[in-house]
Amino acid sequence: MSVDRARFEQGLTYEGFKAQMTRNRDRLEENERRVQLRPEDVAGFRDLPRPLHVVVLAEDWCGDVLANLPVLGRLAAESGKLDLRVFLRDQNDDLMQRYLNQGMYKSIPVFAFFDEDFREIGHWIERPASVTELRAKRRREIFAGNPEFGAPDAPVDQLPEDARGRLQTEIQRMRDETTPFANAEVVRELRELVNRVAA
Amino acid sequence: MTAGPHKVKITYCAECGYEPQTLDLAKTLMLEFGSRLSSIELIPWDSGAFEVSVDGELVHSMRREGGFPAHERVKNAVRARLSG
Repeated sequence: MSVDRARFEQGLTYEGFKAQMTRNRDRLEENERRVQLRPEDVAGFRDLPRPLHVVVLAEDWCGDVLANLPVLGRLAAESGKLDLRVFLRDQNDDLMQRYLNQGMYKSIPVFAFFDEDFREIGHWIERPASVTELRAKRRREIFAGNPEFGAPDAPVDQLPEDARGRLQTEIQRMRDETTPFANAEVVRELRELVNRVAA
Repeated sequence: MTAGPHKVKITYCAECGYEPQTLDLAKTLMLEFGSRLSSIELIPWDSGAFEVSVDGELVHSMRREGGFPAHERVKNAVRARLSG
């Protein structure tokens, strides 16, 4: 199914999505508060020649949604140029099938950008590859520096419960430390994508 | 039945919404084996994990095999432990 105005307007507003969340709303809103946008990034969206429609595929249990949708939400709020509609992935398979990651995976979030005539400009899926690479590298370093965590690919259930807890703490710390980079990379990739409409 | 406690551990990605599959598998094992299993441990994790081990032996890994395990395959692994 193609996306037209009628289909687009069936989606939830960003606030509507937040209102229907059954879990993790506090995490999403905390992430939204922590996003730091540079003035030039906001200007990059605010100065678009025309507003854009953005179809978002999301679910409230997904970590990448909780991390990256707030970045888009802040850009929309501060630029006034992005009109978001959020569709729940598991209730909108027609849309999900259009944006499968590598043609196979129902990765979310998906941000699909459309011009005023609902011509698609481009879409963005899940998280930047640079973030995946950085966190994989930092994860390897955690294991290298903590032999008690065993091998990175070993089943985690083989770890004693206390070691498992320490590993979880280390991974969470690493994620927190890399969040500013991750947010900046999301903004950079989205700017590159929408710049196509300005070109 | 072999002596000693038999334990199943299911490690699932809590960020991926795998709770339904985790609970379905746990329920299947509970109904099939009852008290012949000494414990079924559910371990919330991340990174897309869905791993099942029986007495410390990994019988399914989403990373290794892809997807979720067929319940019958996990039940067969448990039966092998119980009768082995």
